[in-house]
Amino acid sequence: MSAWSWLKFTLFLWLFRKTVKLSGWLLLAAVVIAAWPVTLVAAVGCLAAWLRGWPPVRLYRTAAWALPVTLAWLAALEVRASGWTAARGPGRAWVASWDHLAAADLARAFPLLAPAAVPAGLALAGTLWAWRIYAITAGLGGITASAPIIFDARQWKRQVRTAGGLTAAPGAVPLLARGRQIPVGGTIRAIGHRWHPVLTLPAGACARHMVVVGSTGSGKTNLMIRLWAGWFTATLQAARAGRGDRPLLVVLDCKGGRDARVKADRTRRLLYGAGARSVAIWPDEARLCLWDLPPDDLAVLLYQMIDTGTGAAAYYADVLQAVITLAVTAPGGPPLSTTAFLDRLTAKWLTGAWTDGRHPAQAERVRAAARHLPDIQLRYATLLGRLGPALDGPGTLAEADAWYCILEGTKERSVAEAQAMALTELAAHTATDLSGEPRAILLAADDYSAVSGRVPLSNLYERGRSLGIGVQVSAQSWQGLGATDDERYRIAATADGGVFVMRTPYPEPLARLAGMRRVLETAHKLIGNTWGDEGMTREQRAWNADPDLIRRLDVGQACYIHRGAATFVQVARPKPSPLTLMPPTAEPGPRGPGPRPEPEPPPPSWPSPPNLDDVFGPGGSR
Amino acid sequence: MRPNPFEALGLPARPDLSDEQVRAAWRQIAAATHPDRPDGGDLARYTAASAAYAELRTPWGRSEAYADVMEADDGPVTAPLPVVPGERATPGEAVPPWQPLIALAQLPARIRRGRPRRLLLRAVIAAVLSLLVLRLIPGTAAAPADVFGLGLWFVLTGRKDLAPPPER
Repeated sequence: MSAWSWLKFTLFLWLFRKTVKLSGWLLLAAVVIAAWPVTLVAAVGCLAAWLRGWPPVRLYRTAAWALPVTLAWLAALEVRASGWTAARGPGRAWVASWDHLAAADLARAFPLLAPAAVPAGLALAGTLWAWRIYAITAGLGGITASAPIIFDARQWKRQVRTAGGLTAAPGAVPLLARGRQIPVGGTIRAIGHRWHPVLTLPAGACARHMVVVGSTGSGKTNLMIRLWAGWFTATLQAARAGRGDRPLLVVLDCKGGRDARVKADRTRRLLYGAGARSVAIWPDEARLCLWDLPPDDLAVLLYQMIDTGTGAAAYYADVLQAVITLAVTAPGGPPLSTTAFLDRLTAKWLTGAWTDGRHPAQAERVRAAARHLPDIQLRYATLLGRLGPALDGPGTLAEADAWYCILEGTKERSVAEAQAMALTELAAHTATDLSGEPRAILLAADDYSAVSGRVPLSNLYERGRSLGIGVQVSAQSWQGLGATDDERYRIAATADGGVFVMRTPYPEPLARLAGMRRVLETAHKLIGNTWGDEGMTREQRAWNADPDLIRRLDVGQACYIHRGAATFVQVARPKPSPLTLMPPTAEPGPRGPGPRPEPEPPPPSWPSPPNLDDVFGPGGSR
Repeated sequence: MRPNPFEALGLPARPDLSDEQVRAAWRQIAAATHPDRPDGGDLARYTAASAAYAELRTPWGRSEAYADVMEADDGPVTAPLPVVPGERATPGEAVPPWQPLIALAQLPARIRRGRPRRLLLRAVIAAVLSLLVLRLIPGTAAAPADVFGLGLWFVLTGRKDLAPPPER
């Protein structure tokens, strides 16, 4: 082959390739023009998806919603010309539209074809938009090498704006949606989860275990209040329909302070709007009775409430436990108040109670521990005095629909720890009490790390699991979930209701729970400043819940991690329906001291105990 | 009515105010109105500003106050309104068959308490387009279908502009 022949052959090949390519483009242009109504709708759909940051599925669903219009059109055609001629309707209308086109009457042609063109165009737009996202993220599209990053950043901004707009709509994110779903807020981005405009959780997710992590000011409180109100509304409505037990929400606000009061007030207003009739704020407005616990549980709790230390203190701890058990399980029944309990911590009382001839072993223990009793009484008088009257009754958790318990974990950590233990025990007692009305219980602990010194969060968690009550815990950081990485992981990994991560400086361990996804990464050879025509594509792994994205989350934005997938959401501020009738006055539950239902039976013979005021001074014992 | 803490400190009602801005506003008012001033100050204004500062001094407090102010603009949420049907239901009671009628009766209140202007705008758009379609292609099969489509669009997109039903 001569050089001239080779040159001609090469030129022919080049021309042939270009002709084929041009023919393809011309054919495509012809189709685009011929189906111009579909093209128009597809273009508008793609533009809207780009501007609003919609995923392709949004366009597919809109196309599906437009199908009834097509059916209505076909039905109308069938009515006008029966005999199954309706199927030819779109074709006829399309042919007729060219007459309008020739007459430059486009405005008339489009509505003629709209019933078929709208769903088809939207479906096409969805496909094109999906291809665009794929091409950009895989590195096949875009002009510069940074195109995937810029595209993602812009789409994130648009998605945030769209979600924010949806969240602001009054009816978009109510407290409860159909099917007992709890709406959380507008979906920003779903990775691995099914996309819905509003992220909703089944009420059952709250009844299992849930973890919320976010630093101060990240919007954690709003999210938690929304989840409480949603769960409460769903459970109450189910109970009214006879499909479950009445709800009982117990919130432990473990930081306390002025903000806690504001939160409590807001939660109460919201729960009233959700249908609650009695929301008690403890200890400001209502009291609970620690002494209602079964004697064995009460003895263990009272023992645990005192910090006994380790090492040589173990001896003292054993004596303490023995004395408490003797005082609480005495034959006359358990103590019914703080005063009664402290009165029992004397040698005279214990001896009188157990020296009836039927309990020689216990009487012997009383004699052995006699010299420690003044110390033990002093310790408990101090502890119960610091706890105040709020646990000295009257009142039980079952008496209200919801309890907002404020623990001063920041100001008085040791007191708050003891209170948290007592309240958890009362919640457990309510859950297992067979004599009372069965209740669906959600125990929510906000910033539990402030009081988790002696009762680790994992204990609370496992306790809740074993009792069948939902436990929702929040912490400001990964470290706040537990003392060790093992404990933290155990809490987060067993949160089968999901994990909400808000802005936090170290989200990696939680983000790991959402797992990774496979993505394609395309590398291009650069020629000068532009991409060449060579390169390679390889499979890579990317975070489902990108930690860097979580670190940059704005106030109110959260990442919901569940079953190895993640959804970013703009949490909506919870508001009750303005149509809800509020109760005229608050019913904060049991207040102040009241008469006890049963007076404490005195032991057969014991001398009257000394007045505690003589020991501690006026008002010193409680 | 609850006082507006932003107004008390002479600040714009914004959730993104900084600690420093709030503190500066408080100091300015406190210096001008403190009761220890030679002119006796302005105790009422000083008290109001002190309370407002206590409320707004943390970012969380500001976001709460801002949200309360915004809510107050929508009107009180506790105003007496139509009787809530679900409220009278007792445990085990099935949903009454007239529930849809009650829901229909609540519609005006839901519109009024939602975003009525937006809803009106949507309705106007749907009505104008429907009229346009009926004028452009009268008597064709596509006309009622298009009008049905516009109605569907109005119902589907307008739902979020309604206030939620009671206890939702």
